Amino acid sequence: MATIIADNIISPLGLTTGENLRAVMSGQSSLCRYEATDGLPFPYTASRFSDTTRRSLTIAGYTFWESLVINSIRRALGQCQGLMNGTTALILSTTKANVGMLKSPDDEPFVTSPGQSALRVAQALGLDTMPIVVSNACISGVSAMITADRLLKSGDYDNAIVCGAEELSRFIISGFHSLMALSEDECRPFDIERLGLNLGEAAATVILTRHGSPIAPQWQIMDWAVSNDSYHISSPSPRGDGTLRVLDRLTRGIDINDVAVINLHGTATMYNDQMESKAIERANMSDVPANALKGYFGHTMGAAGILETILTYRALDEGLILATRGFSEIGVSAKVNISPETRMTDKKTFVKIISGFGGGNAGIRITKTTVPAEQQLTCNSLSITHRVTITPHRLWLDGIDYPMANNGSSTLTDIYKKYVGDYPKFYKMDSLSKLGFVAARILTNAESDNDASTTRDIALFNKKSSLMTDIEYIASVGHGRDFYPSPSIFVYTLPNIVTGEIAINHKYCGETVFYVLPDRDDELINRLVRSMTADKNHSSILAGWVEYESPDQFVADMFIAQKQ
Amino acid sequence: MEEIISQLKVKIIEALNLEEMTPESIDATTPLFGEEGLGLDSIDALEIIVLLEKNYGIRLANAAEGKKVFTNIESIARYVSEHRTK
Repeated sequence: MATIIADNIISPLGLTTGENLRAVMSGQSSLCRYEATDGLPFPYTASRFSDTTRRSLTIAGYTFWESLVINSIRRALGQCQGLMNGTTALILSTTKANVGMLKSPDDEPFVTSPGQSALRVAQALGLDTMPIVVSNACISGVSAMITADRLLKSGDYDNAIVCGAEELSRFIISGFHSLMALSEDECRPFDIERLGLNLGEAAATVILTRHGSPIAPQWQIMDWAVSNDSYHISSPSPRGDGTLRVLDRLTRGIDINDVAVINLHGTATMYNDQMESKAIERANMSDVPANALKGYFGHTMGAAGILETILTYRALDEGLILATRGFSEIGVSAKVNISPETRMTDKKTFVKIISGFGGGNAGIRITKTTVPAEQQLTCNSLSITHRVTITPHRLWLDGIDYPMANNGSSTLTDIYKKYVGDYPKFYKMDSLSKLGFVAARILTNAESDNDASTTRDIALFNKKSSLMTDIEYIASVGHGRDFYPSPSIFVYTLPNIVTGEIAINHKYCGETVFYVLPDRDDELINRLVRSMTADKNHSSILAGWVEYESPDQFVADMFIAQKQ
Repeated sequence: MEEIISQLKVKIIEALNLEEMTPESIDATTPLFGEEGLGLDSIDALEIIVLLEKNYGIRLANAAEGKKVFTNIESIARYVSEHRTK
């Protein structure tokens, strides 16, 4: 298990964790109403940095998103003198990183991809390990901490810097607006009058080590779980199936009465909060105190999982369960123990849960305790059962070439018709999802029926994230009176949607995760996949590289590996 | 009305990428959502809202309002003929 040795939060409420905690404890919020700005023809409420703060955080030669990340990590590293020995992993989490720089399709060559940004951040910090970006929609922050815990446990690194950051832009705000997910006024998590979410920008960093102190109690990651709903790419399972599986796993072997608080996702959309209440009731956790922090910072997306985790344990250090700002009267059908007031506790264990587009649900259990004997995961080499490679000119399965013709833009559709053919939703997918989907189906078609299991995990990787779909979305947004952002294209600008599509089609409810790397690095991919297969609760994994750049340039190189 | 119905069929097939369907294969009274009908989902509903605004200047404030309107192509066509501003 990993020990948290330092943290930082940069938000419009403050530039340190302490400033943010004090602001929240005194009931302050950075949510603010904006009348039609940034070419957005509608009012919205969000948490945004002021121009002055933005300027003061910007580092010359770096994008604002990179500057935010570097500032947050440097402040956290400042608390770690002498605590970090050995190798250090850099894991960033974000949904859209620098996408705000993409103003028109012509900007593409000038926009820094998240992987390239991560590399620049690593260089600025003097780190020589290859950085990893977790781009797993709203659950990215928790997924990144889980990734770090796994890599530390498997002995691949001694320390991990995990930073989630998000910058708001016309791109993101117009997208959530097109999904009718935004509330014009301050969000009201779990309240009867909730009307939707507010977006927020922030960066949050935790630094983890596997060499914690055996004397002083420290906050430790005790367990975690990720489970896909296998239901829909943008609507949560109405009964909270995935979140229930996460809660069941996180409370296994512990006394529920030891849990001080469940820190909820609590976005204040109708569906999310209702789903979470169902999952909590079904997990018999209705009496455990619960809270949601979106009323202070909005939904900070890739930063949310980390930011909310930090505030929860820092408040518990003070013996407090933070109040749920914006909540007054319960508006969900199942019982949740939520309060608009700050509550006291002396318990030192909590559960953080989070859910997001692509159907992913994640959770993490953290306890303040002294470090027990070092736990290590044994990661053997991967036992690959099937492998497929698809390019515009080649389809290669388990060492055998299959006939295919390159028909330009219809090549993927031709492959679909020839080798899959039974899933009309294919036509609704973006190109990245189409590619990952057909590759997955060709792989699973090669399996005998009893090889497959619903607990299978999915981990996909690439370098350009969903850039081609980002460009398509920008084109749909339009300008002035011609403002018609496409909700369906926006959903596909999250690269992890491909993992959700595969999970839904195959009824897989294991972990789903999407990683963006600065470049293809099979050694690093293997290391990440190996650490996932060492988890005892899962049967097998579908993983690999999936990159779509144009009808003439794409590659899927994916495989199925069995549990060791 | 008939003209709006046939226009809507073409536009919906295009906007929702209903690749394996033709205007002839969709009956104006076939339910759009649920397993019995075309099996459209919540994102499709949002795309139809965009389509109505773009083509007919109709603004639906939320998906709940859309629920009744979106029963089938015929009900959408009726709503369009009564509320269109362009």
